[in-house]
Amino acid sequence: MSEQPQNQPVQNPLTLVMKAKSPQDYTMLRQTVEHLQALPPEQNPIIAALDKLASVHFARFVFLDPDQLAVITTYDGDFDHYINGFVNELGEVFDGLLAHVADAPPTPVRTHRHEFLEFIRARDLRCVGTFYSAYPTSTVLDILDAVAVPH
Amino acid sequence: MVDVDLADVQGLILRGYTMPVARHIGLTVREAGAARGFLAALAGGDPAVPAVTTAEAWAAKPDCCVNLGITFPGLAALQVPPQVLAGFPTEYAEGAAARAELVGDLGASAPDRWLPWLAGPGPHLLLSLFAQSPEALESTTKTLEQAWLPGWAELGRHDGSALPDNTAHFGYRDGLSQPTIADVPPAGLPDQLPRPPVGEFLLGYPSQHVGFTYPVPEPPQLGTNGSFAAFRVLAQDVDGFVEFLARQASRTGMSEELIAAKLCGRWRNGTPLVLSPDTDSPDPPIPPDALNDFDYVGEYDDEKGYRCPAGSHIRRMYPRGQRVANDSAHLHRIVRRGIPYGPPYDPAHPRDGRERGLLGLFIGVSLHEQFEFLMSQWANDGTFAAGLGRTKDPLLGDHPDGEGSFVIPRPEGQLVLDGFSRFITTRGGAYLFLPSISGIRYLAELAPRP
Repeated sequence: MSEQPQNQPVQNPLTLVMKAKSPQDYTMLRQTVEHLQALPPEQNPIIAALDKLASVHFARFVFLDPDQLAVITTYDGDFDHYINGFVNELGEVFDGLLAHVADAPPTPVRTHRHEFLEFIRARDLRCVGTFYSAYPTSTVLDILDAVAVPH
Repeated sequence: MVDVDLADVQGLILRGYTMPVARHIGLTVREAGAARGFLAALAGGDPAVPAVTTAEAWAAKPDCCVNLGITFPGLAALQVPPQVLAGFPTEYAEGAAARAELVGDLGASAPDRWLPWLAGPGPHLLLSLFAQSPEALESTTKTLEQAWLPGWAELGRHDGSALPDNTAHFGYRDGLSQPTIADVPPAGLPDQLPRPPVGEFLLGYPSQHVGFTYPVPEPPQLGTNGSFAAFRVLAQDVDGFVEFLARQASRTGMSEELIAAKLCGRWRNGTPLVLSPDTDSPDPPIPPDALNDFDYVGEYDDEKGYRCPAGSHIRRMYPRGQRVANDSAHLHRIVRRGIPYGPPYDPAHPRDGRERGLLGLFIGVSLHEQFEFLMSQWANDGTFAAGLGRTKDPLLGDHPDGEGSFVIPRPEGQLVLDGFSRFITTRGGAYLFLPSISGIRYLAELAPRP
């Protein structure tokens, strides 16, 4: 388990790189992700979940040649403690993606939370050296609160 | 809807006994066979020995209730097979001392400073007695002593006794906030908040997480209907707290009682600040059974914390409908069973050199996601909620000396109380498995191993 030293940024990087099971699976992964990301924001389950969880600053999918999908995010706090929130909100989305991923953990991930956490931990490339933040003490909730338009 | 066999569940998990005296006794295995024999007696196998109190309804309130928790080394000492031990969660297996830093037990609270009976290898078994009178407590202890002696040796004990009006030593009325658990008889004050599922407090039932039941240690007879608890002996620095209130009242012009209320989230008589921000005696009065029926959002409209600060003790320990990181406010509930120890604080005779504090059992199906989460994420950090930064729970936090800081939000600008040290020091702890009655019988019937 990792606990965050109090002098580190409150944000953390996730650089999750997953390999497709086969060229066909790579195609399927690509189609799945492109379909999700083409949905209007109000119908995109990933956007709805991230809005609700309010702990991810930025998130994007990137396809890496020749057969890899990367999920790159900047999130607040300790992933270990918060994985349940993501699984609760996005369990089916993860299940759909993992069907095409090599050495995937057992699904549904809602039932196999620990294995899913270990899978992500093992494939998170993190970052080289220092993780830079322009605002190391501000969480998503702090920023949303600060920019909120008064009613 | 799940059906729980209340006769198989240790009573303290699902109900508060509201007994005025308590005693926690730490035992270590002397001889495994005889030790198992004592467990058989506690599981109802010997009419001369009081049986473990279950969650069944009482025809009449007993004079004394008996419950037990077993540490991971305790399971091993009872000769639980390695493949069974391997089914228990990591945090429980590692134990309270190994996990101390995670929950803020540093410096004066570190395990090398703990009470002798909880330091080092610590107890194998914690017997917890709750009684209606000191006499009942003594007489039950004597009976149990005779029964445990062949198999167990006592390492130490700690007594607690309720203070007038169910207050704790800092003067707050205690025990008001407890989860109202779904599908079992209600045991605390009513509220209109989401009911946590029984699987958040008992092994073997769907948990608070969608589609997930916490892994049950095998065999089911051992694991199902069990739970886990963090036992804590928490010394309270009442002198430091009283002096802090006086100093801050003088500095800010606020009354000591209002400062105390802001730190806690309730006035000392239990009245929630969000329901009554200006007085502890509102007119009309808040009915006693409504003291835990509130939120911070919606019709209660205190998102900014102008009435109840977001950093206050009760709002940190259960933020209710407030927006927190990962939408997790309702996912980390805990059952608290606490009783004060030590003499009442007498303001006329401060600095009497007597230790006083709270004996607590903090119960949930996952030590990691309930007790440890609350301590590491919500008590000793503030990044889960807007505007709290790296601040800590003013009452419970592990503030470095003189570096405590607490923000009181106000429409005209925030007021910061700072320069305080930790008011609570951990004097010892243990991570316990609270087996079901079937689980106690399983342990009692284990085959001897060479």
